[in-house]
Amino acid sequence: MENKETIIEFKNISMQFPGVLANDNVSFDIKKGEVFALVGENGAGKSTLMNILYGINTPTSGEVIIGGKKVEKYSPSEAISRGIGMVHQHFMLVPSFTVAQNICLSHEPRKSKIFYDLKGAEAATEKLVQEYGLVVDPKAKVESISVGLQQRVEILKTLYRGADVLILDEPTAVLTPQETEELFNVIRRIVKEKDMTVIIITHKLYEVMAISDRVGVMRQGKLVGVNETKDVNEKILASMMVGREVLLDEIERFGEPGETKIEVEDLVVTDNRGIIACNGINLKVREGEILGIAAIEGNGQSELLEAITGMRKPVSGTIFLNNHDTTDMDPGQIRELGLSHIPEDRMTTGVSLQSDITTNLVIGKERTPHFSKWGIALKKSTIHRYAEDLFQRFDMRGAGVDTVVGSLSGGNMQKVVVARELSFDAPILIVAQPTRGVDVGAMEFIHKCIVDKRNDGGAVLLVSADLDEVFRLSDRIITIYEGKVTGEFKAGEISKMDISYYMTGDRSNEEGGTN
Amino acid sequence: MKTLQNNKKYIISLIISIAIALLIGAILMAVSGFSPIEGYGAMIDGAIGSPRLLGNTIEKSMELCLLGLATAIGAKGGLFNVGGEGQLFVGALFSTMIGLWLSDLPTFLVIIIAVIVSIVTGGIYALIPALLKTKLNVDEVITTIMLNTVAIKVCTYFVNGPWNSPLKSISQGTDYIDKSIVFSKIIQGSNLSTSFFIGTVVTVFMWFLMKKTTVGLEINVTGENKRFSFFSGLKANKLMVTSMIISGAICGLVGMMLIYGYQGHMTQSASNEYYFDGMLVAMIMNYNPIGIIIMSFFFGFMATGATMMDMQVGISVQLYDVIFSIIIFLMAAQTGIMVWLENRKTQKKAKQLAEEKAKGLVEETAGKEAE
Amino acid sequence: MSWDQIAQIINFTLRNATPVILAALGGLLTEHAGIMNIGMEGMMLSGCFFAVAFSYICASSGAGVIAAILVGIILGLFFALFVVKLKADEFIIGMTLNTFAGGLTAFLLRSVFGKTGSWASTDIIQLPKFDIPLLSSIPYLGKVFENISVFVAVSWILIVIVWIFLYKTPYGFWMRASGEHPEALETAGISPIKMKFIASVACGILCGIAGAHLSLGYVNNFAEGMSASRGFIAFACVVFGMSNPPKVYVAALMFGFLQAISLNLQEYIASDLTAAIPYLVTIIMLIYVTVSAANRKKRREKQSLKEQSGASEAPVSA
Repeated sequence: MENKETIIEFKNISMQFPGVLANDNVSFDIKKGEVFALVGENGAGKSTLMNILYGINTPTSGEVIIGGKKVEKYSPSEAISRGIGMVHQHFMLVPSFTVAQNICLSHEPRKSKIFYDLKGAEAATEKLVQEYGLVVDPKAKVESISVGLQQRVEILKTLYRGADVLILDEPTAVLTPQETEELFNVIRRIVKEKDMTVIIITHKLYEVMAISDRVGVMRQGKLVGVNETKDVNEKILASMMVGREVLLDEIERFGEPGETKIEVEDLVVTDNRGIIACNGINLKVREGEILGIAAIEGNGQSELLEAITGMRKPVSGTIFLNNHDTTDMDPGQIRELGLSHIPEDRMTTGVSLQSDITTNLVIGKERTPHFSKWGIALKKSTIHRYAEDLFQRFDMRGAGVDTVVGSLSGGNMQKVVVARELSFDAPILIVAQPTRGVDVGAMEFIHKCIVDKRNDGGAVLLVSADLDEVFRLSDRIITIYEGKVTGEFKAGEISKMDISYYMTGDRSNEEGGTN
Repeated sequence: MKTLQNNKKYIISLIISIAIALLIGAILMAVSGFSPIEGYGAMIDGAIGSPRLLGNTIEKSMELCLLGLATAIGAKGGLFNVGGEGQLFVGALFSTMIGLWLSDLPTFLVIIIAVIVSIVTGGIYALIPALLKTKLNVDEVITTIMLNTVAIKVCTYFVNGPWNSPLKSISQGTDYIDKSIVFSKIIQGSNLSTSFFIGTVVTVFMWFLMKKTTVGLEINVTGENKRFSFFSGLKANKLMVTSMIISGAICGLVGMMLIYGYQGHMTQSASNEYYFDGMLVAMIMNYNPIGIIIMSFFFGFMATGATMMDMQVGISVQLYDVIFSIIIFLMAAQTGIMVWLENRKTQKKAKQLAEEKAKGLVEETAGKEAE
Repeated sequence: MSWDQIAQIINFTLRNATPVILAALGGLLTEHAGIMNIGMEGMMLSGCFFAVAFSYICASSGAGVIAAILVGIILGLFFALFVVKLKADEFIIGMTLNTFAGGLTAFLLRSVFGKTGSWASTDIIQLPKFDIPLLSSIPYLGKVFENISVFVAVSWILIVIVWIFLYKTPYGFWMRASGEHPEALETAGISPIKMKFIASVACGILCGIAGAHLSLGYVNNFAEGMSASRGFIAFACVVFGMSNPPKVYVAALMFGFLQAISLNLQEYIASDLTAAIPYLVTIIMLIYVTVSAANRKKRREKQSLKEQSGASEAPVSA
């Protein structure tokens, strides 16, 4: 394994984006026939580096050498012709095209030179399917197949173009554990049988240990180090990634919770496509407790929160908030009953990007006598002072309260959302993905805010894709799988390993021993 | 601080854009055989050369300002009101008819009713596309464009059909409204009448509404991100409809002011795409009320001046449209051009830095290896 | 109503639908490439003017058409430069393009040809007209296909060509991908920006031809604003034809038909009122298309809900 030939070489790569140095003088090489894992936190520059290899970005300086030849012109078509294939984190598939049409895009088989040989495309796809054992229907429209299958189409696409280096960007983020295992089998097979090279970007360390031969760690645009996987363990990798021992303060558990504040009964909700997302969910959250929902993305937890907060009309079932039936209420009415909400996607839901921080902090309260005369004329100076105060207290960094929110970093933007929502002093707090794309410092701060809320007697419902976060904050955890509650546990009652078992299937029958 | 800086940049780009557009205008004049100096001279003279012309300039500016504010309030609420022309026609037609029908009532009462009717009819005509958008999600851009033509054709039908003046001396249009209810002139012989005071009140009101009130703030947020507005508990649809009604109401009112201000009776050419000029002013100024007020004077000046330039030098008045649209093209692309320029600058700097660094590091490692 | 009258209405329908479908074919290409082109009105008007101008100057209708096409190419490139390259707002650029075209054509009409408002001259050469062989000899309805201007026939061929291009050639797939998921096309090694430019230029050409047909097809004159909202109607046709060439043509025909009958109805209803009908119908059709699409979606949802609840209940009962 040691004396394999080098297939790709990065030499002093730097990449400057407006305001961010995404790659800072990165140099290393990749050997033919290996599985190379590239790890690092969000924003460490992994994807940028791979986008350079795939020719999407042209590096500000430095060079890439593929198969001994320097890359002169950075473009995907050049990369494809050099045998590089990439499966992006967000799939690059045209939804209304069929599987075969997506696979053949840009390299279509032709009839009489100018016409698209659609039958030929299907045949070529079928041939690939047979050859690699990656089963998928060539005639199916991509928009109608599952995420796992879409990823398969992406891999087939690179194989169809004759790639011998395959880059996978966060391939397991959207997969179930079984699908992940299948993917890993595919990777092992193509490396062994077809002598391909695979570069896998991830931040899940156990996957690095499971699949890779070598691992490179990136932090803040710099390459921290490259190691043989067998020489490291998860702990070492984690400290390389973060740059220090990862030790978050233990969170104190709190006394007995009080009366029920959120009660959901037999809730059925559909998603945007009209498919059932929540299929009869029951749950209760009481004063002074944090209920965490552990679920793999896309199992109905987002729709559940949207239904509770009034953003989405449920099909059936009832929702009680603060002892009121709020099933058919809109967000405005629900907020008046004492609910605040940190939404899952701050960009589209949580802020007005083109408005300043002040506006984003005061919205929802602007008609109160404190901020306006007769609910009409804004008291500008009071509002300004109020915003300044929150700005200080929530430790937002940036030019000031007049800064447009769209120009803030993820962490600061999230602090704006958290500051506004907590300032309502509502007894109920709904939180979704509170620290997604947020730096470690801001993460600790936001966690503290949520726990303080609970300690003040708030009822908190938390959803997070980050299992560590759910475990760290929750007093009680429920698992949801395919729109149904599959388990309920007290904090400390179950391990992260065991809970993933409940996140991936309904186990109630197995426990009962029937069937 | 940041907004101030952005404003400064915006104003600089605006001045450059205007300069380029005027230059292109000069070239067009020169190519078609006129002296640009003479042309622009006539334009300036035509805008402020006499009290009468100055009055016309101010009146035109007021129109542009009100119609620009009408566009702005709709756009701030997230709806592009392209249909102001139609709303203006509707308001003009019905207020004229009020003047003719209620001529027996006391003067001030007629005027008040006419104002109200123009506001209400303009508002209702804007309500249609607003409801179609919020209730059925039908694109407002197309519906408002279509409703423009519908309104103009129907108004044309009425002024030349059932409500046509029986007088032989009036070939087209309705009867003239009674002199007593026409706004008296501020400057004799010009178009500038006491309707200017109504315009001022509306302008101040709009500025106050957009910048100083809760409703303005809410409309702004709704237009920027409707989902966020809904999420924050605001009545997003209601706010959008409100902003559109206000927009239509102003357009209707401008229609009334045109008739009662200087035209005297309703014709099929009561407005010659005036709304679109106002709309473009609003777009140039990014829907900022203060900016619209200031810019209106510049374009009011140009528009009035261009008419005189046409009459005296013989350069087509439409040159004004050409100059006007070039300014907008440049301003619409301004952000793109700026980003491109800035990007190039940082890339250059970063490249230099990175190369130095790489060199330094190469030497460093070379040194280590030597050891 | 006599056969002659019916044939005449159909003939007028085709005639009126032609500029709309030509522009709409361009509009649907940009729509597929992910650009909302509201500037077709201005592109068409420029086509009208330059076709007339060069038909007059060169005493050849062919020269007029070539001039209209060239202007279309320039405006298409211009539009794409601002919207695609400089990322300016497509709505603002489109609307301003309309104002610009209106101003420039009127300015040139005055300063080059010394005319104000409109210009007709026998020295402006019309496009050739012909009877479609075979079809024009059909009894009763033959009249429909007599004296057809050349671009009416060309538009039929173009509908087929555009359809084949979009759905039967790789380039059509690239263009559709450039609108639906530009990154997917880019990572496949083809520049979506290039496809968007091509779509915009093609739209400019088609609008130019539409303009040439309008000013040289059955008349030989130019009038300020003679495109008379047809660019907007073409845009509406694209929307309710869901960017599918044959469906868009049906929409354009409907517009042509409404215009044709409004001419026939003039005796009974004032022409100003009948002239408003096509625009009103456009709104109604737009509402119909939007609402029925929403209803279809709702029905589908209900259906899938039923299936799902059936499926999910089944194991429980078993």
